[in-house]
Amino acid sequence: MKKKLYMLVALLFVFVPLGLLTNSPAWGEWENEHYQKLLGYIPSGIANAKSLDAPIPDYAIGGTSQTLSYYLSALLGIVLLFGIYYFLLKVLKK
Amino acid sequence: MHIPDGYLSVPTVIATYAVAIPLWIIGFKKLKKRLNEETLPLIGALSALSFIVMMFNIPIPGGTSGHAVGAVLIAILFNPWIGFISVSLVLLIQALVFGDGGISTLAANALSMAFVGSFVGYYIFKAVKKYKFAPFIAGWSGIVASSVIVALLLGIQPIFWSEGGHPLYFPFDLKTTFIALVGSHALFFGVVEGIFTMLAYRFLQKREMV
Repeated sequence: MKKKLYMLVALLFVFVPLGLLTNSPAWGEWENEHYQKLLGYIPSGIANAKSLDAPIPDYAIGGTSQTLSYYLSALLGIVLLFGIYYFLLKVLKK
Repeated sequence: MHIPDGYLSVPTVIATYAVAIPLWIIGFKKLKKRLNEETLPLIGALSALSFIVMMFNIPIPGGTSGHAVGAVLIAILFNPWIGFISVSLVLLIQALVFGDGGISTLAANALSMAFVGSFVGYYIFKAVKKYKFAPFIAGWSGIVASSVIVALLLGIQPIFWSEGGHPLYFPFDLKTTFIALVGSHALFFGVVEGIFTMLAYRFLQKREMV
């Protein structure tokens, strides 16, 4: 199953820029301006939300094209996931 | 379905963490038991699939988009606890590195997309296993169940947390939220999750067992 799984990951990876074809946000995941326009105000909890500054916000890496950013983001995600499992296996199993 | 920071009231955040933390502890124990040199590539690749599949944003009528989650596939190939922990890790990376979802809402997102998705998908799969379309039905049910949880968490915000008639957090009422979220997942993203689960399951199970 391992080989087939890797094939499946590779296949989806190749086509991942298709995910960029739409600019529509997910329902309920709007920019704050959307609330301003729709309601006339931004709910204070949303306006004052404290969030960490993500190093690669919205899967966009500054200075590179959207497509390349998306590929690199997908790659980074995969590497981090395998890294976490490797860490768990090596460190926690001892 | 990734709830961002600022959308849930503090009591909701505390309640979701209070439920999620014990479940994460149980899940990590189960993962530790199953994780070895042989299963690591499989669990890693399945988590990678979930990460990538969530990057395929699919537009739907009404100006919004959504995506599959991939939790059910992991749940039916391994077990629902592994599905829960893998997708939780995916959500953690999305929140910390890509600003997708939030830190205060990580527990809420993990409970809906990872926990409820995995377990509902798993038990539905067990119930309809003998039918040809079992993986499709499981995938569809899992993600629709996830959307029900998200709709509930968001929809109760304006009921309990408003000031001077203005909601403090997520502003839309339960009915609107329920129709928009559960409706779109039942009609569109559930179908995508179902097809993904079915095709991947068939492909991976062909002529070999886990």
